[in-house]
Amino acid sequence: MQRFQFYNPRSVEDALNFLAEKGERSKIIAGGTDLIPGLRLEEIRPDFVLNIPEINPFRGIKEMDHSFWIGPTTTFTEMVESNLLSRSFPALVQSAASVGGPQIRNRGTIGGNIANASPAADVLPALLAHGGELELQSKRNGKRIIPLAEAILSPYKTCFRSDEILTGIILKKLELGTRSAFEKLGRRKAMARARMNLTLLLRLNHREEVSELRIVPGAVMPVAKRMDRTERMLLGKKPEPLLIEAASKTLAEEMVEVTGARWSTEYKIPVLKNIFKRMMKQLLIV
Amino acid sequence: MKKRGIGIGCMYYGMGYGFSRPDVSAAEVEICEDGSIIVRSGEVDYGQGSDTIFCQMVAEELGIRYDTIQLITADTFATPNAGPTSASRLTYVTGNAMVKASRAIKKTLQSVAEEILGERDLLFLDEEIFSESHPERRISFRQLAKEGHLRGLPMVETAWHDITTKDVNPETGQGDAYSTYAYAAQLAEVAVDTETGEVEVLRIVAAADVGKAINPSNVEGQIEGGVAMGLGYALTEEIKEEGGYLKTRNLGEYMIPTSMDVPPIDPHIVEVPVSSGPYGAKGVGEPALIPTAPAILNAIANAIGVRVTELPANLENLHRLIREKERD
Repeated sequence: MQRFQFYNPRSVEDALNFLAEKGERSKIIAGGTDLIPGLRLEEIRPDFVLNIPEINPFRGIKEMDHSFWIGPTTTFTEMVESNLLSRSFPALVQSAASVGGPQIRNRGTIGGNIANASPAADVLPALLAHGGELELQSKRNGKRIIPLAEAILSPYKTCFRSDEILTGIILKKLELGTRSAFEKLGRRKAMARARMNLTLLLRLNHREEVSELRIVPGAVMPVAKRMDRTERMLLGKKPEPLLIEAASKTLAEEMVEVTGARWSTEYKIPVLKNIFKRMMKQLLIV
Repeated sequence: MKKRGIGIGCMYYGMGYGFSRPDVSAAEVEICEDGSIIVRSGEVDYGQGSDTIFCQMVAEELGIRYDTIQLITADTFATPNAGPTSASRLTYVTGNAMVKASRAIKKTLQSVAEEILGERDLLFLDEEIFSESHPERRISFRQLAKEGHLRGLPMVETAWHDITTKDVNPETGQGDAYSTYAYAAQLAEVAVDTETGEVEVLRIVAAADVGKAINPSNVEGQIEGGVAMGLGYALTEEIKEEGGYLKTRNLGEYMIPTSMDVPPIDPHIVEVPVSSGPYGAKGVGEPALIPTAPAILNAIANAIGVRVTELPANLENLHRLIREKERD
């Protein structure tokens, strides 16, 4: 194991001061499930490692008037066990439950999943579908809030500045009647990197037309994103089987536009279409 | 859509090395003055449980508790050669050496006990040696061991067991290549997701003819472990190589099944004693693994009518076959 200095800040202020000075040579550790392997493989060589899980204001799940706030060092297990989240964002909770195995879920955190920005992150697509926003803080600039959709620039790269800490994740409450679903496809039932995952959010109006739809596939593109074109195809229309079939084709096209044709495309195209159609069917039965 | 299917896999397997390749194993049993036992053998227990069953065998022969035996194994400095732990051979080959060495030393003990007790119909049972017709004439194993040492008798015996067979006819390939064979059959029930290529194994029923189960729960453990390995072999495990370099470098990439992937396993022990094995026993290591993949692949064929001819039957490979079938 390489050498570095391990710093245990006593407060948010302490952590921000530390990063203001040494941010460029530091890495922040929360659960460590991504950072430790990176250190061991010497993919990263920080001089300082800043340990944040013991800072209390970074933990927990709170309900506000119009939104929920999730502390960045909230573990996946805490998300899975949260009644608040299970009631309000079942698809997000399902995505947290699909992470690794019990040991990983006990250590790994929502903030870490975002900051690591892996293309195969399990929770990111669900957060994107829920319109997640990130609260970032630094000594120099104070607080700023940005949409998660703008935070991830490329695989493993975020727009976070070196003196900034992710201090909270904000999810707006969903409108009544919003249905959601999450599915992960892996090579085995636990400890599996996602081969593909898909989060859907759907709301119908009183005429049974699609009034809201969010589609976010994960692990199939370098950076997960909402599939706008497919969403627009269905908006304002009745989700008839023929239209869903057509939408599934557009969805696959949107994916290929981003990734180009690769060895795995011949698998991903039909399977993404199949999973989309299957999940739409499930959501429409409800 | 999820489609279910059932498949069968059967196998027979030659015990040990066969084809005239040397297949020998040694064991040494020593009785100490205090009646405790030291067994030495080059055998390696890497988790399959051979240490336990060898103690059971020596204990069975000498009528003592198996936890009084100290086993020294796998040390080329201290133990006689037992050959590798491979070819499902330890129970069958080293087991025979254990029994032979125990019986040799028992003969010496028997002669001392006959002299002391004045009887010949002696039983070795529960740490005692006594006459069947006059059970009041008895001596503890511990005392008998001491008497043996006092008389200066050989209290250590080494046995060598050889199952090397003749080779088959090099021109016709005919002959009996192995000392004996093991037999096993398994049933697999699977659910195949035709939309993703995902295979879920729902249940495995596994029967193995082990001749004689020296330790039944040990045999069940071997069968369950073998099935788990066979499952990975069939569905997920893959070594990728590119230009001579290994691309699969760790267990994050080499997908062995987790406990969540292993289905309920129903092990059945079949006992058809083989005269050449210790107490009729033969090996179960590989026989527990070999039928699993064919049973799963047959179950997949039964479910969706697609024949897998290349392993692993993972998401991409199986879905490609499903698409090809749909095209036809």
